[in-house]
Amino acid sequence: MKRAAVLLLWLAGALAPGRAAEDFIDRLDEALTTSAFEGQFRARLSGTLDLEGYAFSSPPPGLIVASGNSLFNPRLTLFLDVQLGGSFYFFLQSRVDRGFDPTNGGLEGRLDEYALRFTPWADGRLNIQVGKFATIVGNWVHRHGSWDNPFVTAPLPYENLTGIWDVAAVRSAATLLRWAHVRPKSFPGGQFADNHFRLPIVWGPDYATGAAVSGELGKFNYAAEVKNGSLSSRPDYWDTDEVRWTHPTYSGRLGYRPDERWSFGLSASGGSYLLPEASPTLAPGRDAGDYREVVIAQDAAYAWHHWQVWAEVYETRFEIPTVGDVTTTAWYLETKYKFTPQFSGAVRWNQQVFGTIADPVGVQGPWGYDTWRIDVAPSYRLTPHAQLKLQYSLQPEHLGLRSYDHLVAAQLTVRF
Amino acid sequence: MASVSFAQAVIEGRVALPKSRSAPVVNKRYEIVTKGGVVATNPPLAVVYLEGDFPRPAPAPVVSMAQRDLAFVPLLLPVQAGTKVEFPNLDDTYHDVFSYSAPKRFDLGRYLADEKPVPSQTFDVPGLVTLRCDIHEHMRGLILVLATPHFVVTDPDGHFRLEGLPAGRFTLRAWVDSKTTLAQPVDLQAGSTLKVDFP
Repeated sequence: MKRAAVLLLWLAGALAPGRAAEDFIDRLDEALTTSAFEGQFRARLSGTLDLEGYAFSSPPPGLIVASGNSLFNPRLTLFLDVQLGGSFYFFLQSRVDRGFDPTNGGLEGRLDEYALRFTPWADGRLNIQVGKFATIVGNWVHRHGSWDNPFVTAPLPYENLTGIWDVAAVRSAATLLRWAHVRPKSFPGGQFADNHFRLPIVWGPDYATGAAVSGELGKFNYAAEVKNGSLSSRPDYWDTDEVRWTHPTYSGRLGYRPDERWSFGLSASGGSYLLPEASPTLAPGRDAGDYREVVIAQDAAYAWHHWQVWAEVYETRFEIPTVGDVTTTAWYLETKYKFTPQFSGAVRWNQQVFGTIADPVGVQGPWGYDTWRIDVAPSYRLTPHAQLKLQYSLQPEHLGLRSYDHLVAAQLTVRF
Repeated sequence: MASVSFAQAVIEGRVALPKSRSAPVVNKRYEIVTKGGVVATNPPLAVVYLEGDFPRPAPAPVVSMAQRDLAFVPLLLPVQAGTKVEFPNLDDTYHDVFSYSAPKRFDLGRYLADEKPVPSQTFDVPGLVTLRCDIHEHMRGLILVLATPHFVVTDPDGHFRLEGLPAGRFTLRAWVDSKTTLAQPVDLQAGSTLKVDFP
């Protein structure tokens, strides 16, 4: 009760209109920032409080786990940023919520990110980073936080589940078609009883553990990382104690920025998508390193005045020794426009198509459901520290339950 | 306010400033490339001004508040109502300057460093305008819009000297922060120098 009262008072302060609200959060910001040694040591504690609500056609889409048609998901995210001189930077992100992806479970606390970065030269030609941090692949990571993301949910490549599992290896085309719900459409225990085994192309921002180097050389920039999980790996296996260094994932990105308006990137990633638990299911004579996820991704971004555009294309190959390579391509085009200083709107077109495999009787067919989704999201900044987002998503339904799946989401974010 | 008789009165003195703020920390979590890393520490400053309903200048003056090294320069800018403020971007990265303050709401969007015309806004309503950058959350600047042309920013020790003032009885104010504005009555004589401290 006391905590709820404190939360309500804090929310009231943050959302109050006018000068009082700005001052309230600015004073909090100053109180949570400290420095010493003439500014050579600086630390800042900041965060966001998200109150999210979802209503959807059952079963829930993407990585959402819920038994009904709606879900409420509060999330407190705390960031610690520490600057040591001009060369060392440390950051940490911890969250309290109902799961890394929205679930109907109880509240839990996690340490989602922590990393130390060393920048030996001021011109940014080289940065070295170790820890547990977001992938360098693609361009969505830069805006995946609730304050920066124009939408409540992630683009399709980051959350649409395929028929690939990480807890067991596919042994036949029939198994893959069953896991993808292509043939038969039903699955024992319910249509989505196996969702917790299935993998997307990239699991959200992929906070796996590892090391990275990055830098900028003129109009070009580069980044490379080695991590303990594939891009598709699930959050439970991103921690450093979930060691899979016998089959690490290597990723790289080359970027070109002709001027501030344009940004282009080409990324590649390769690594085993299987968990150690899958060992008993491997084909004879094979190891987890033979079951690789290989990704080639292209990204582009444009920003000028009040208009921003992002696009990514993910071409993905899952290697299955007993079946052959299976491929899928996913892309999206996303744009945001600020109509007024406080009101913005965003639209995103997502699409994913699957390659074909031969079924047990030799008939070629796709190993997943080609799909599309359109997301529309207006947002309003109540104050410099509070914003309200709404999202509506429409996607075809493939299992014969109805024509389309609908999702409505709302997210109130207070940043401090 | 007393009737305004233009003479060359001077006020000088000192404002007791609050202790220095902690240095800002730049959020670089998802920047692939990090350049440098330490932004300047700006000491607290005050604005001392002679309160009164003075006529607006014609034509409207143009002043500048730049973005340089991921900070607003100057950090605190007093202007007379009706002043046009330009916001040149002197960094090699985008900024997106905005304000939701009641006296002036605007969002400049993302401008290239060499883009013309330089984005600007005219500040007509007296009051405090807090500037922020939608890309760099640590950036904060202040524009104090005043109804008077007689104002000055203190030095970091709080010292000020306000020249070219009219003779007469006025209220001298010292704006220290959004919560604190000090005031003292002053009686200005032509050709005189008045000493005023704000403890």
